[in-house]
Amino acid sequence: MIEEIRKIRESAQAELQGIDSPESLEAFRLLYLGKKGRLPDLFKKFGSIPPEQRKEVGAELNRVKEWIESSVAEMRGKLGSSDGVRESFDPTLPGIPPHSGSIHILQQTIEEITTLYARMGFETVEGPEIETEFHNFTALNIPLDHPSRDSFDTFYTDKGQLLRSQTSTVQIRIMQARKPPLRIIAPGRVYRPDTVDASHSFMFHQIEGLMVDEKVTFSDLKGVLHLFLRELFGSEIKIRFRPHFFPFTEPSVEVDIQWGKGWMEILGAGSVDPNVFDAVGYDKSRVRGFAFGLGVERIAMIRHGITDIRHFYENDLRFLRQFA
Amino acid sequence: MKISVQWLKDFVDMAPPVLRIADRLTLAGLEVKKVESDGAARDTTFEIEITSNRPDWLSHLGVAREIAAIESLSLKSHSLDPETGRTPPSGWNLDIKDSKGCPYYTGVLIEGISEFKTPDFMARRLLACGIRSINLIVDITNYVLLEYGQPLHAFDADLIRGKEILIRKARAGEKLIAINGATLQLHSEDLVIADSERVVALAGVMGGQETEISERSRNVFLESAFFDPGRVRRTSRRHQISSDSSYRFERRVDPEAVDAGRQRALALIKQYAKPRHISACIKAGEKPRLEVPTLHLRDDEVRDTLGCEVKPAQIASILTRLGCDVKQHAPGSWKVSVPSFRADLQRSIDLVEEVARIFGYNSIPETLPARPPIAVTENPRLKLEKKIRQYLSGAGLHETVTFSLVAEQGLDPVKDLGTGVKIINPLQHGLHWMRPTMITSLLNVIRKNVNAGADSVAIFEIANLYRMPDKGKHPAEDRTCAIALYGKKAAQTWCDAARSLNFYDLKGYVEALIAAAGCQELCVAKIEKSYFSPGRAQEIRAWQTPIAFLGEISSSLLREWDLKAPVFYAEISLENLVKHAQPNRPFIDWPRYPAIERDLSLIVKDDVLCGSLMQEIRGLGEGLIRDVKLFDLFRGKRIPEGYKNLAFRIVYQSPERTLISDQVQKLHDRIAEILVKKYEATFQK
Repeated sequence: MIEEIRKIRESAQAELQGIDSPESLEAFRLLYLGKKGRLPDLFKKFGSIPPEQRKEVGAELNRVKEWIESSVAEMRGKLGSSDGVRESFDPTLPGIPPHSGSIHILQQTIEEITTLYARMGFETVEGPEIETEFHNFTALNIPLDHPSRDSFDTFYTDKGQLLRSQTSTVQIRIMQARKPPLRIIAPGRVYRPDTVDASHSFMFHQIEGLMVDEKVTFSDLKGVLHLFLRELFGSEIKIRFRPHFFPFTEPSVEVDIQWGKGWMEILGAGSVDPNVFDAVGYDKSRVRGFAFGLGVERIAMIRHGITDIRHFYENDLRFLRQFA
Repeated sequence: MKISVQWLKDFVDMAPPVLRIADRLTLAGLEVKKVESDGAARDTTFEIEITSNRPDWLSHLGVAREIAAIESLSLKSHSLDPETGRTPPSGWNLDIKDSKGCPYYTGVLIEGISEFKTPDFMARRLLACGIRSINLIVDITNYVLLEYGQPLHAFDADLIRGKEILIRKARAGEKLIAINGATLQLHSEDLVIADSERVVALAGVMGGQETEISERSRNVFLESAFFDPGRVRRTSRRHQISSDSSYRFERRVDPEAVDAGRQRALALIKQYAKPRHISACIKAGEKPRLEVPTLHLRDDEVRDTLGCEVKPAQIASILTRLGCDVKQHAPGSWKVSVPSFRADLQRSIDLVEEVARIFGYNSIPETLPARPPIAVTENPRLKLEKKIRQYLSGAGLHETVTFSLVAEQGLDPVKDLGTGVKIINPLQHGLHWMRPTMITSLLNVIRKNVNAGADSVAIFEIANLYRMPDKGKHPAEDRTCAIALYGKKAAQTWCDAARSLNFYDLKGYVEALIAAAGCQELCVAKIEKSYFSPGRAQEIRAWQTPIAFLGEISSSLLREWDLKAPVFYAEISLENLVKHAQPNRPFIDWPRYPAIERDLSLIVKDDVLCGSLMQEIRGLGEGLIRDVKLFDLFRGKRIPEGYKNLAFRIVYQSPERTLISDQVQKLHDRIAEILVKKYEATFQK
């Protein structure tokens, strides 16, 4: 038996030298490995050999089989054919696209913005979406009878909590938990009972930023926001600062960027209102701060020319794939 | 609100062009959204948008005041009726029963109106502001509203019963048919105007139809008052009526304009309606005063807040132009008296904003905070999320963002909704619940895409799931990654055939994701969930902590979502995964000695679990097995019914030495022998 195996190996070695085409390789493969080939033949005889020899013979058989298999595979690679028929090479056949997915454009936008602020020392933090009136309104200096507290403007749970209508709640949470100085940036989902149309949604995303330190000025706020907008929209971007009103900042500002012929509102900001420091137990005579908030959808819409906010939540693959 | 530029010129001599004025207003915080010129009327209108803290801008006078302040112009005064030498209307009684709701109420009886034509200029200006002309008296009240910001109401005096005007709370069961035709069931918190018998107006919101001024009205009772902002707002909301009046009252009107507005109206009535007689004004209550009429402002507060110097003289000048009375209090400090129309100025910081606004936000320099760096620790869960997103998107899945509010459909009424967080004022479509699972959200995405022609939907989402915890009142938010697979694994190409996604594709994603997090020591258990097919779901645990569950969506849910092919769904708890993750995974060197591969093909009964066999093989490997892979699984043909053939490739490798083929073969044979006995396995013939 061992002798037979040796013969097979020798003849195979010799024949291999002569193989020069896929066809002859296939013939070789069939001769040795095919169903009625010489090796399977030997395997069939395996049962008839004495048990004490089986181990040795089996090992030898396996070795030769492995060797022939790998030789065939190697030869196949050299001859450039897989099934014995020589193919002409057509370089114009389409490439096989890799099977890749995508990160949602809102998430990409959030990551880009938080990364920009991380470079300025702002830590990304989070807060709960289901909130208390204190965190969403009272601590943010929004008076008890303010319209935004109505159930027309805020979702309430049956247990008396609410869905945060702004990420400014995270300012309060962090200030309650930590001492100044602070530099934080807080992205997340917010909710308002707006009827869904091309520019409104009852759920959307905001990013809130807050800096608190001994000496932080309105001019610092302007500098940080301008730097951020230049990074986001390019160094040529023109911006302007317009007085506005938010209960939790004073002075308050809206920032516009020049877009086409006009100006487009891009974010709201201001110096932290002293009442907010009171609410979280900071000494308002010793710290100053600024805060800003921006809508992620709005920024993504402007940057990518998306005209309907509903695209973000419909998750049509034709939409998602475009931002892979 | 629309503002007529021609009208503004009654108060202030502006230097053209109007576009410059519009720009300056915008940059002072009074945003001019649109400028439209009407050639025929020789007028231009500003569409302005006003922040809720500045109700004083809701009038032409208010806007003119702002222009005068910005442009350093003086404000022209107007012809007001002096109201002198008149007697009170005889027999008329005015009484405030709710002085919180109405601190100050005034009225005048005008009798014997003889002219009824609204002058052209008035009709034109009203129209420019979007109000059509109705009749002279009503037009005059609207005109004064737009001019002074003071809402007035005119009653037909002959229809007021008992010559009585009462300002009181509504009583149970009282009704009012409002001017707009709506019948209002009044609430005991509603503030109303009543005569001796009935309610005649919803205070500050809308008058009643029964006492409305008509073409036949000859005698008029003119009301000018101050109503509590909160009360008006709540009543307006309660009855869902918003009027030009309520809009102003709920933001607070200028108490001084109560008298000025009435006097202005009387001047116009006298001139254009030519009444026979005007009574003296009857009044009740007192004009509310500002809570904080006087403030102190230091120059250094301006500097420290803004980050730039504003000259003391400029500070004083800006505040004076805005209508404040400014006096030097001490060196570097000012005493500032606030005008009646600026109830929003209550603290020195509010004055700083006023200085900044008029100084110009764009004149303040830009600086970067010169502060030392502070330690920033990256939240490990956010870091893990980033990794998962990269991993899954790289592996062919698309990230979705779906709404956190969901409908009941598809959720387990006990397990999901029993601890669910319910929204009491959902917007639409019964989206009542903060979702306890993302399953229905992702099924919606799959259905939508399938309907749009997609034959493969492989998606994931990272978001919070919500539930009421066993203890405590505040809902818990669990950060979760959900994965859903439907349809083809990959599109067919000229090279590869397509194949359908299956449970094991999902399992592969979940296992790889958990492995990528560095989480080890996993075990698997079968679980049942209402939305999975029975017996086709499992849970993956690390140290007894559930990390993930996955399964095949039940056929009933598929039918509900009208999906023809199976959906495979998994949820991974990121809170739990991050606890068991290894953020800095240690490097594990690989053995340098050659490996030997041996195949083992076994026929076993169908109910023998592949996992048990693989575990058994490893256990028998004497530490020499580096890997066991299942490379083939088939049934039928030469395999008896009720049996399956499993083909394993076993990689033998020692970290310490080169294995000798014979030894490996011996070990391999022994493993085979034991498996054959233990699992009643046979070899394929």
